Amino acid sequence: MTHTEIVVGVVLDEAALTLEELARACAVDTRWVVEHVEAGFLGDGSLGVSHWRFSSNDLTRARCLRQLERAFAAEPELAALVADLQAEVRSLRQQLRAAGFSESRGS
Amino acid sequence: MEFRDYYKILGVDKSATADEIKKAYRKQARKYHPDVSKEPDAEKRMQEVNEANEVLSDAEKRAAYDQLGSRYQAGQEFQPPPDWGSGFEFSGRDFGGAGGDYSDFFANLFGRGGAAAGGPFRSAAGQGGYQMRGEDRHARILIDLADAYHGAVRTISLQAPVADESGRIVVREHSLKVQIPRGVKEGQHIRLASKGSPGIGGGPAGDLFLELSFRPDVRYRVDGRDVFTSLPVTPWEAALGASIETPTPSGPLQLKVPAGSQSGRKLRLKGRGIPAPAGQDAGDLYVLLEVVLPPADSDAARHLYQEMARELAFDPRRQNGQAKGV
Repeated sequence: MTHTEIVVGVVLDEAALTLEELARACAVDTRWVVEHVEAGFLGDGSLGVSHWRFSSNDLTRARCLRQLERAFAAEPELAALVADLQAEVRSLRQQLRAAGFSESRGS
Repeated sequence: MEFRDYYKILGVDKSATADEIKKAYRKQARKYHPDVSKEPDAEKRMQEVNEANEVLSDAEKRAAYDQLGSRYQAGQEFQPPPDWGSGFEFSGRDFGGAGGDYSDFFANLFGRGGAAAGGPFRSAAGQGGYQMRGEDRHARILIDLADAYHGAVRTISLQAPVADESGRIVVREHSLKVQIPRGVKEGQHIRLASKGSPGIGGGPAGDLFLELSFRPDVRYRVDGRDVFTSLPVTPWEAALGASIETPTPSGPLQLKVPAGSQSGRKLRLKGRGIPAPAGQDAGDLYVLLEVVLPPADSDAARHLYQEMARELAFDPRRQNGQAKGV
């Protein structure tokens, strides 16, 4: 049976995630997040765990890192490098589209 | 709903070892990852590969799938048997970061994105009489660019694991009307409290995170909060200047095309991109002029072109510094 309700959500970035919330959203331990922030793979580099807040970008990136580490048994450094490259590819593609060029798929 | 042959998707034999499955998954992931693949259906194939890996890399799910799969072929019409899942217990490990984009086939067998309460299986963690918060779930939704300008209410359909009358976890489809706030950007998340997986033992439900993507629109391209569009103009509008009604995501407006414009000229309309929350700058709308020549498909049109050729001492190659005739 289908039911419908109206739901008002919160846009991340207006109300950013805490350390615990990010860990829960990524199904990881908070220690995993702390290690990745301290290593510079996540977050904005600010000091003080209690002040850490995470944005939409952080959530997307954290899930990407986690998947790379798990699926490929990748070292965090390698996963971060791949995530950086993926983000760069997406950004360049977006710029291409904005400039009116469509990316070619297929040979 | 069709039966999915996960072994075929990963390209491995049914007797493949865990290591062979891992290697096959990595090979396929490299081939179909949407960021690097040249395959036109890369995203869809990557989802299939992720899904196959989720099942075959998990000994419990693989055993359950194998038991079921012995009776089906790939593509064959499939309905889970009524006793599906009985006798199995999952350890409650998560489904990995595949993003929750699972097929109906997967969702019916294992649930969609929920971990501890995955599909028709009872979680071992759920048997102990303690409370546990439900998992957060993730989904990606497509919205129109106009929704980011004006805000909107959109209905989304989700499949979620819920407990039936006998306490068994089953997958049920339900719809949510979600308010899309004005000013959202592509890639942003909307967090819906308590709309994730149900809790265990009366624990609170998890949250649902909706990642926003804009539905492709041939008229507009988006970069952050900046929006880009093309506007075809006639040669005389470009040469002499004109005021042209231009469609924009926020409604039509009169655009002043400066005299002497060339094809490719970019006009910036400050603050006409995606609106921003208080304290932030709205995006800009960029209009790219495309001068379109009328076809010389009548005597009158040809005559006008010939007259221009005679009257206007115009050589664009000379203007560009190129030698004539080269």
